[in-house]
Amino acid sequence: MIVTRSWLNEFIDLKDISNDKLYETFNAIGLEVGRMEHVSMPSRVVIGQILSCEKHPDADKLNVCQVNIGLGTRQIVCGAANVVNATFVAVATVGTVLPDGLEIKPAKLRGVESDGMICSASELGLPNIGSGIMILDDSIGELEPGRELREYDTVNDTIFELELTPNRGDCLSIYGVARDLCAALGKNLIEHKPVRHNKKVKLGISREASLNAQADIDAYINCNLVVQKEDSTLPLIVYLRLAMINIPSKNKLDDALEYLLHTTGVILQAYDADFFRNVDEKIVIELKSDENKMINISNSTDTASVLGVYQDPKSKPDTQNGQIVLISSYIHPNKLAEMLGDSKIQKDSIYYNTSRGSNPDFAFGLLVAIDFFEKYDLMDVYDGVLSHEPNKEDKALLIDIKELYSIIGQDIEKSTVTNVLQRLGFKVAGIGDDAIAITVPMFRPDICNIQDIAEEVVRIIGIDQIESKPLCFNEHYHADSSISLYRAKKAIRNRAASVGFFESISYIFSDNALLEQYGFETINNENALLNPIVQEMNTLRSTLLVNLLLSAKRNINYTKKLIPLFEIGRVFDVKRNEKEKIAFVWSGQSEQESIINHGKPSMINMPLFLQKLGFILSDFRLEECSQTNKLIHPYQSANILIDNKVCGYVSKLHPVAQEEFGLYETFIAELDFEALMPKHVLAKSISNFQGVYKDLSILISREVAYSQVKRAIDELSLSILSNVYPIDTYEDKSLGNNISLTIRLFIQSGEHTLEDSEIEHVTEGILTTLQNNFGASLR
Amino acid sequence: MEELIVLEANITACTTLDELEKVRVDIFGKKGFLTKEFAKLATLQAEEKRSFAQVLNLAKEQLQEKFDIHYDALKSKLIEAKLKEEKIDLSLYNATPNIGALHPVMETMDKIIEYFVALDFSVESGPMIEDDFHNFEALNLPKHHPARDMQDTFYFADGSLLRTHTSPVQIRKMLSSKPPIRMIAPGSVFRRDYDLTHTPMFHQVEGLVVQNKGEVSFANLKSILTEFLHFMFGEVKVRFRPSFFPFTEPSAEVDISCIFCKGDGCRVCSHTGWLEVLGCGIVDPNVFKAVGYDDVSGYAFGLGVERFAMLLHKIPDLRSLFEGDIRLLEQFR
Repeated sequence: MIVTRSWLNEFIDLKDISNDKLYETFNAIGLEVGRMEHVSMPSRVVIGQILSCEKHPDADKLNVCQVNIGLGTRQIVCGAANVVNATFVAVATVGTVLPDGLEIKPAKLRGVESDGMICSASELGLPNIGSGIMILDDSIGELEPGRELREYDTVNDTIFELELTPNRGDCLSIYGVARDLCAALGKNLIEHKPVRHNKKVKLGISREASLNAQADIDAYINCNLVVQKEDSTLPLIVYLRLAMINIPSKNKLDDALEYLLHTTGVILQAYDADFFRNVDEKIVIELKSDENKMINISNSTDTASVLGVYQDPKSKPDTQNGQIVLISSYIHPNKLAEMLGDSKIQKDSIYYNTSRGSNPDFAFGLLVAIDFFEKYDLMDVYDGVLSHEPNKEDKALLIDIKELYSIIGQDIEKSTVTNVLQRLGFKVAGIGDDAIAITVPMFRPDICNIQDIAEEVVRIIGIDQIESKPLCFNEHYHADSSISLYRAKKAIRNRAASVGFFESISYIFSDNALLEQYGFETINNENALLNPIVQEMNTLRSTLLVNLLLSAKRNINYTKKLIPLFEIGRVFDVKRNEKEKIAFVWSGQSEQESIINHGKPSMINMPLFLQKLGFILSDFRLEECSQTNKLIHPYQSANILIDNKVCGYVSKLHPVAQEEFGLYETFIAELDFEALMPKHVLAKSISNFQGVYKDLSILISREVAYSQVKRAIDELSLSILSNVYPIDTYEDKSLGNNISLTIRLFIQSGEHTLEDSEIEHVTEGILTTLQNNFGASLR
Repeated sequence: MEELIVLEANITACTTLDELEKVRVDIFGKKGFLTKEFAKLATLQAEEKRSFAQVLNLAKEQLQEKFDIHYDALKSKLIEAKLKEEKIDLSLYNATPNIGALHPVMETMDKIIEYFVALDFSVESGPMIEDDFHNFEALNLPKHHPARDMQDTFYFADGSLLRTHTSPVQIRKMLSSKPPIRMIAPGSVFRRDYDLTHTPMFHQVEGLVVQNKGEVSFANLKSILTEFLHFMFGEVKVRFRPSFFPFTEPSAEVDISCIFCKGDGCRVCSHTGWLEVLGCGIVDPNVFKAVGYDDVSGYAFGLGVERFAMLLHKIPDLRSLFEGDIRLLEQFR
């Protein structure tokens, strides 16, 4: 919503209010100023009265004008064609510097002296309002030759662009904004006093037209009949102001209606009177609900418009003369929303106003409109109106004063409350000790309850006037699971960072084709994303890894050689179930180049990557990989088990994927985040008896994974075997298909000192089992 | 004793501890000079014996002192040499950090969470894929309400949607528990908007307090948010401007004085001197109605974490936050 200072001045006296104060006030009452711009005229640009205008002797397109600029007459050569119709114009006298930097000097044009320049609007820094010079009229103020243009507030204006919130349809007009300002500045609205310009006796509307309204229509309309005057023109101020509010000029009628709508907020639409003429040549306007429950204005057969939404072009006046039916309308925005439902019906620009709530004060709207038509001799207006209004009472609210204070958190003088509300257009029906009865004006459909009233009061008296008060919380303590979850997550993130990973955030979106290419599941069709923003984000990710690998790739483009990334985030399965995952990607060097590694750090490898993961995940076990996606290296991958449950996988990035992503050698892991939650620990009793370490070197087929060996040993459930771990492997041609594997046993009893036979029982048991299960032998 | 002068000279002539050890044996050893001289005492008589013993003891003392001094000197020389040998230029080992870093957006979120956790707010979360009821309807955003235009939404074929704010978490919390409530909901949210200053995903922290009717006021909201913004941004001015959100009434937007120009006006604050950082208000009765709460009062607030992080750390480019850009991240080690 754009307003200008001079336009507002028609409804509120801003004489003693500076622009800065206006800016501050707008912001303070919730009409946020997005832009404030001064349109200022250069000095020495004066009103000129053209006394004569003759063709230039040597140039067809130039005119030589004698112009009265107050202090005398100047001869000015002008190239604009429309100068021949002009009487009053803007003259940049000698010495003027125009906004584009041009300085006006005496000049000779094709041999004729020219002492100044007749200007167009854009040359003066005004918005462009059509070709040719700007022809002045007294709509901008009384025209006195020689008077500087910058003395005219209507031209030398200030533009405020207000960022209206969607609830404030009442401020979609100059009048509405002025009303809010009045409340905030403690001023009274200037009443619009029409002058009876047209002394002719008017014809009555009912002689020619009638309105057939279905009785239950829940909307207000008001029809006027007017006759356009062909040779009339709109005054300059309309063009200037429409340009300032960025509304392009279309034609005389549309421009006039836009101007009036912006001034008063009352919807006013023009219909060709002939559209409604029946066989008897009578204008009959029908107002009824159609089969979709939308309210239509129509003639006996065809729809002219859907109320508040759309007007069919065929019902619009197609000439600049003849009879017009002007229809004002109002429909409650909630009613309108309900009526439209999911309908995809076409919407005019008017819908912006009607859906937010237009001004229902037809009397005011017409007062301003008719005055405008007659003042500029644009139309003859028939006497009387045809109208329909639903049988409704004004909305009444009873404001409990104590409750109002408790919402605001502060007591406020009751008189201040009533004063604010009255200035905003509310009627105060009664004031009791504990309550105020008010009626809500129709132009404020957003006001429904006491909290809405609290908002109005707070807004107008100013939030600054409310003292901050700490709240006495009466809640129970929250040091519960929700906070420990947050803390645990933070601890894991810190561990990841401390072993070198950078935390990354990627969009939860992904490219469906890319996910499929790498063998990840994708959301099925019936659950698909309907309106993706770009192709690369056309679905939700089912893995964090693909996006992380793309991030790694970007870092290679940034010439990074050491790329360790991790992310905690949600992924979505085929049915769009959400699950939180943590993923790691390490590409390239294992550490920074430094004096220690002589500038040649090793590349990341599986043992190192696993060591890093170990610092983060603490206790985990690796077993044969059961994952099948195409990021996985079939010979360097494993399932990750925590607490004996598979919760993710680790792998070298498949060389094909590595090449496709354009990465260095890369290692990846992805786990269910839940598996990393800290466990509750129950301490085991600590044995006070001596334990012994025993190493066993065995020859075993290279096809047997250590995890199988470990499992076989675990299944023996040897009570005194308190730990087993591999410490060495050795491969040699002489061993054929076998490798030598050394495992270390720690044997200890919780109850007594070990006998040699017990130790032997353990080692023998293990050897026998490995021999039976895998054909292994002692080396 | 002229030998004394010779022996002293022998001591001081030593240049290594090994040489000195030999001299020590020559003088103090079992077969050394002093032992031999003391042996002579046995052949002497009373007066002569006493005076010779005196001379010897004095000589022994002098030699011992000489020896000790020289020993210390040689020893420290030796240590000095050893130290020199071990010299390393530590400055070569400057700044080769192999540590990673947490994301500035997450770090900012953590700082926000820590503040409210200290005030005993619970930390709630909810699904990212929401339905119309939790994301809109229950928040006083009925279908076809123009305020829905404020948030461009991602929809799914089955009518569900990606949450456009963290507010549905409030609704879920209120539906699943009784008042009083004091919670924050941090998390990612989604809007169909993608340009220099908008990303389709960003993070919010939402706050909600619900107590008995008449207990929670706008003045309370001012108080907590003013203190919170001081915690986050230090000594800034805080300004509340009336605004509109469908789920709160009265509503306000909260600005802080620009932390870059101290309110004088600069590019970051569009020359206004103020930076908009928060939205807040008193919970609209329709929201309470939607979750079946009676006789309660409450306030709610919401903020964008990226905005906070960018302001706090002067991060110029919003999009870089979502690209895993190590050039940015490594600055936060």
